[in-house]
Amino acid sequence: MAPYTNIPLSPAELSYLHTSLAQDPPIRPDGRSPTQFRPLVAETDILPSANGSARICFADGTEAVVGVKAEVERTGRKGGLVRGKEDGEVEGEERGEDGWLDVSIEIPGTRDDDALPVFLAAMLTEALLADGELKGRLVIGRVWHWRLFVDILLLSQPLSYPLPLLSLTTHLALLSTRLPALISQKDEDPLFNDDWEASTHLFPRQPTTNEPETKPPITLLVMTVGTNILFDPSSDEIAVADAIVAISATEDSKDGGLKMVALRTVDPPSRLTSAGVPTQANTTAGGGLSAEETLKLREKDAGATVWRPPRGGVSRTVLGRMIKKVVEKGGVGEEVLEGLRGVKS
Amino acid sequence: MTSLKRSYASSTTPSTTLSSKTYLRTLRSGKVQKVVRELYLRQDIPCSSQLCSTCIDLAPAGFHGKQDPPVLSATPAGTTQYPQGHYLVPDTNAFLTAMDLFEAEDAARDVIVLQTVLEEVKNRSLPLYHRLIALTKNEGKRFYVFFNDFRLETYVTREAGESINDRNDRAVRKACSWYGSHLQDAVKARQSARCPAVVMLSDDRENLRKAKEDGLIASGLQDYVSGLPDADRLLDMVAASRDQRATRDEKAKMVYPEYMSMSAMLTGVKAGSLHQGTFSVSPYNYLEGTVHVPAFDRPLIIQGRENSNRAVSGDIVVLEVLPKDQWKAPSSKVIEEDDLTKNENAENEDESAEGVVTEKERRALQEEVKRAHGKVAEGKPQPTAKVVGVIKRNWRQYVGHVDKDSVRSEAKQSRAQQTVFLIPMDKRIPKIKVRTRQAGDLLGKRVLVTIDSWDRDSRYPVGHFIRSLGELETKGAETEALLLEWDVQYRPFPKSVLDCLPAEGHDWKVPADTADPGWKGRRDLRDLLVCSIDPPGCVDIDDALHAKLLPNGNFEVGVHIADVSHFVKPNNAMDKEASLRGTTVYLVDKRIDMLPMLLGTDLCSLKPYVERYAFSVLWELDQNADIVNATFTKSVIRSREAFSYERAQLRIDDQSQQDELTQGMRHLMMLSKKLRAKRMAAGALNLASPEVRIEAESETSDPVDVKTKQLLDTNQLVEEFMLLANISVAGKNYSAFPQTALLRRHAAPPKTNFEELANQLKVKKNLELRSDSSKALADSLDTCTDPSDPFFNTLVRILATRCMMSAEYFCSGTQAYPEFRHYGLASEIYTHFTSPIRRYADLEAHRQLAAAIDYEPLDASLQSKSKLEAVCKNINVRHRNAQMAGRASVEYYVGQALKGRVLTEDGFVMRIFSNGFVVFVPRFGIEGLIRLRDLGGGKEVESVFDAEEYSLSFGERKVELFEKLKVRIEDEAEEGTGKRKIKLSLV
Repeated sequence: MAPYTNIPLSPAELSYLHTSLAQDPPIRPDGRSPTQFRPLVAETDILPSANGSARICFADGTEAVVGVKAEVERTGRKGGLVRGKEDGEVEGEERGEDGWLDVSIEIPGTRDDDALPVFLAAMLTEALLADGELKGRLVIGRVWHWRLFVDILLLSQPLSYPLPLLSLTTHLALLSTRLPALISQKDEDPLFNDDWEASTHLFPRQPTTNEPETKPPITLLVMTVGTNILFDPSSDEIAVADAIVAISATEDSKDGGLKMVALRTVDPPSRLTSAGVPTQANTTAGGGLSAEETLKLREKDAGATVWRPPRGGVSRTVLGRMIKKVVEKGGVGEEVLEGLRGVKS
Repeated sequence: MTSLKRSYASSTTPSTTLSSKTYLRTLRSGKVQKVVRELYLRQDIPCSSQLCSTCIDLAPAGFHGKQDPPVLSATPAGTTQYPQGHYLVPDTNAFLTAMDLFEAEDAARDVIVLQTVLEEVKNRSLPLYHRLIALTKNEGKRFYVFFNDFRLETYVTREAGESINDRNDRAVRKACSWYGSHLQDAVKARQSARCPAVVMLSDDRENLRKAKEDGLIASGLQDYVSGLPDADRLLDMVAASRDQRATRDEKAKMVYPEYMSMSAMLTGVKAGSLHQGTFSVSPYNYLEGTVHVPAFDRPLIIQGRENSNRAVSGDIVVLEVLPKDQWKAPSSKVIEEDDLTKNENAENEDESAEGVVTEKERRALQEEVKRAHGKVAEGKPQPTAKVVGVIKRNWRQYVGHVDKDSVRSEAKQSRAQQTVFLIPMDKRIPKIKVRTRQAGDLLGKRVLVTIDSWDRDSRYPVGHFIRSLGELETKGAETEALLLEWDVQYRPFPKSVLDCLPAEGHDWKVPADTADPGWKGRRDLRDLLVCSIDPPGCVDIDDALHAKLLPNGNFEVGVHIADVSHFVKPNNAMDKEASLRGTTVYLVDKRIDMLPMLLGTDLCSLKPYVERYAFSVLWELDQNADIVNATFTKSVIRSREAFSYERAQLRIDDQSQQDELTQGMRHLMMLSKKLRAKRMAAGALNLASPEVRIEAESETSDPVDVKTKQLLDTNQLVEEFMLLANISVAGKNYSAFPQTALLRRHAAPPKTNFEELANQLKVKKNLELRSDSSKALADSLDTCTDPSDPFFNTLVRILATRCMMSAEYFCSGTQAYPEFRHYGLASEIYTHFTSPIRRYADLEAHRQLAAAIDYEPLDASLQSKSKLEAVCKNINVRHRNAQMAGRASVEYYVGQALKGRVLTEDGFVMRIFSNGFVVFVPRFGIEGLIRLRDLGGGKEVESVFDAEEYSLSFGERKVELFEKLKVRIEDEAEEGTGKRKIKLSLV
């Protein structure tokens, strides 16, 4: 994860940041509360020839565009035989396949097989497929299905870890995605209504309110410093994180609340920062230590007074609290979804 | 953050001129595409009315900076309904149902063709679209295409939930209302009193109703035409409107099964459960059709009306194979539509009570089935199928005559509208139901009709009259009829084509100065002793020949072909017209040229005693007629003499003639015989088709006598060298342009084609016909002789010819090299090069050869495979049609020559049915059906049909296949129609 390793902060600055974030209540560099998000601007349906699209611009200048394109594809028959309903094969096909969703991420300055875009795409795909609802909607009949291409394009340099930005943009794009209306019978070669207005939303909407009945999941980045939990960390904050966790949540169709569908820990870049060097160990300043003293410094954390890279790890209770903060009623997840609801095409 | 979105105003306001439209397109591959188009709406699209002064400046300037004058007249014609004059704005269905009305000379002028309508017409029917485009180019008709979808005021966006048709209808209404108010303003500005009405013409009740609601002037087609003078005639040109059809729908029972949905058919065809092919009806049995589908070797049989389900010969249909217990043998019986359905009443709207298949038809079919079940080996039941849908209708205009019996006698004088049957000339086309007010006038005339629809509730297709060609059996009407039937373009060349001719006209000469650019790259072959040999009276001389002995004992032989490509440059109007016509069509008394007369019969024609440009192929041949080398060059020649075949033959045979020219011809003769022998040894086929020549009285060109064509050695002389030239050129063109050479191939016929004939020969004559290779076929054809009857061999050759595939032009990149083979000529590669005056393929070959020898660069159109393929496809069709038209013309003249005569001639039985047999009369090249019923004086005669032995016994008599018998030939005017027919009967 090359872009995050060269953190342009001195050990003193890191130490200062860490200390202030570890306070109770934490003091964030931009004065936000722990659960507060940075302001963002969003719009949907910006690409006229895509099936759905969205664009989000964060206040720090990071910006992403997502286009969703749907293509009709023939469902490959397994084993070359058409099996009867007895096998439960039909039901299986109704459920759809993971391969029908194709997420690709492009980040300036990285190759498409670099670890970062691949890892991000996997994380987003995992969240989208977790509850199986989306791929079920891609089924047209026994013979045909939609294949969904989600093309995510980060326009700016990845200043902070871009996962929340990409996830939210993808969320909006999928919400605005529409599939052509089918006019042929289920298993015939598909023929579609030529009227774009007649097309249906991938995430069906209530006819009266035009509100989506279900929504795609969102993935939020949560970090901890000490026992504090911070949402939407900026790049500076990430540099001192003890642990970073990506939590994907989606609306629970049963009680209308949120449920967690995926969770990943992210390797915090803070682990790669260099620790502060005491004056007596600094050779340029005329100091110099014996091997024994150096070992002692490193092992015994003698330099902790300035800055020491966190060792990582997060306790069970903190993790539990993080998830709870995201999915609980009136929690951050709902707040974010509520905020995104205001985005009209 | 500023939005990235393009700000299209949701509704058009005067300030914005940018809009977009979005729609979905399902591709053939099953993929679906979202298409977004940006539209710049303009306000400078003129209304093109001479009344309007504001739009004059808007008119686009032409090539010379001159503005086109407004199209629509300032004083359009008025009618009883619109005395102040009117402009017509037809909607799509008006054009679809009544194109003939718009084409009528005296009706429908000052028509505004909206872009919306034009596009819809294009989507619905390409032929109609081309006719509409032709109309807009016709200055006298004053049709103006108004681009309403680009004009700000008339553009409409599709509303939510609105179907595209409704949107288009709304666009038409909007354009009408804009035109209305625009003209009002224009008239006010001119302070003139007369403001023409803008009349929306539609066949759609809903659209008319909405138009009335909007306060527009609108009229149904029927109502509008009724208000015109000569309404009776014009009304016939309007297809029965949807309204009339709709009212019938409710009470009528559906007599035909419904078609499958398009997507279901396509899925089925792809999956292999359904089959797609072109529906063709047997000329002997109108109830039986066959469809060749790629999945099977043999065609699928479709029997009966219900199974053919409204398919008309030529349609592209989708079939479902029927279960095995319904398989049948192909029909062994002649069934003609006239016989079975003679007394049907066209007026009878309740005919459906009877069902699709009448009792009589059912009985006829029933017998078929019985027979099929009783048979084993030969008449084996074959897969049958039924039509489940039609992919594409290939309906055209049909020539025919009115069935006299279907006209109510009392109505003959009256003008009342009635429904009559029209019997098409082509027996494979069903009767067409036509509503007309002029039934009385049309009796006994050749008329042109078109099919409009064939609904599920109607036994017969419904059509309408277009025009009358004239009295039956008059030469003019019959000639035009057959030209129309075979889609031969016979109108005079338009001015744009004639403009491409050299300005000097007939005075054009080969430039005397050899420094002239015309001489560049040409060899001066004027000193060669060239002559041409053609049929007597030939004026378009394509080819000339010469031969001379070289000092080394070899021969120099030259074939010189008219250099048409010098005069016809690629892609000009003349070239386009020629490529469309494809070939010159020879009728008995008429020639329809591919190129204007000036070129064909003068400037290009290699006339004797004058210098002409030519494209020469020069060989050095050794004594065995093997090619030592070949060169190709553009040249200038001077033909010494133009011989007819007979005269050339006489000259060669006359030993007193010892001049150099005659010597050259003798060399040619000697070499041609060697070439021929070599070709035959390689397996070239000597096929035969009945050819006759009509001798006409010179004054009236009424036929006097019919003679079979005589073949002289000189015919073969010319033929051999033309073949040699074609083969040499094909090789050269192919080596120069391996992907895009225009070649001609003749595919080997599939074995199954010969099965029947081979079996017949085996059973009847104990002869063997082998068809494994062209060589085997040629050899076995030679053995198929009957010592007692010299003509028998020719008969077998005629029958064998009918089993062949037809040769076709193709582009070399589309086939693998082994497929290039010309089966009949036993040549690996072949093209047409020697008749550029009368065949377009030859002209293209000339251009390619000219490029191959670096005479001139190759035109881009000849380098594109797809363009060449389109050219090939067209000329293949034109070629076949020209042959058919020529044959039909001969047939007609033979009929005329036999008029009023009774002759007894030898005939041969060619085919046997269970209720009749087909006899071929070599002397006249005619074949006719003798039905048992006719022999028995109108009653069916007791008969025994033996399909395995190919014999039919009735009474004392037994008729066998290939039997030679005496027949009486007389002509007979058919009672119902007054149409003359040749009738054969047994003596």
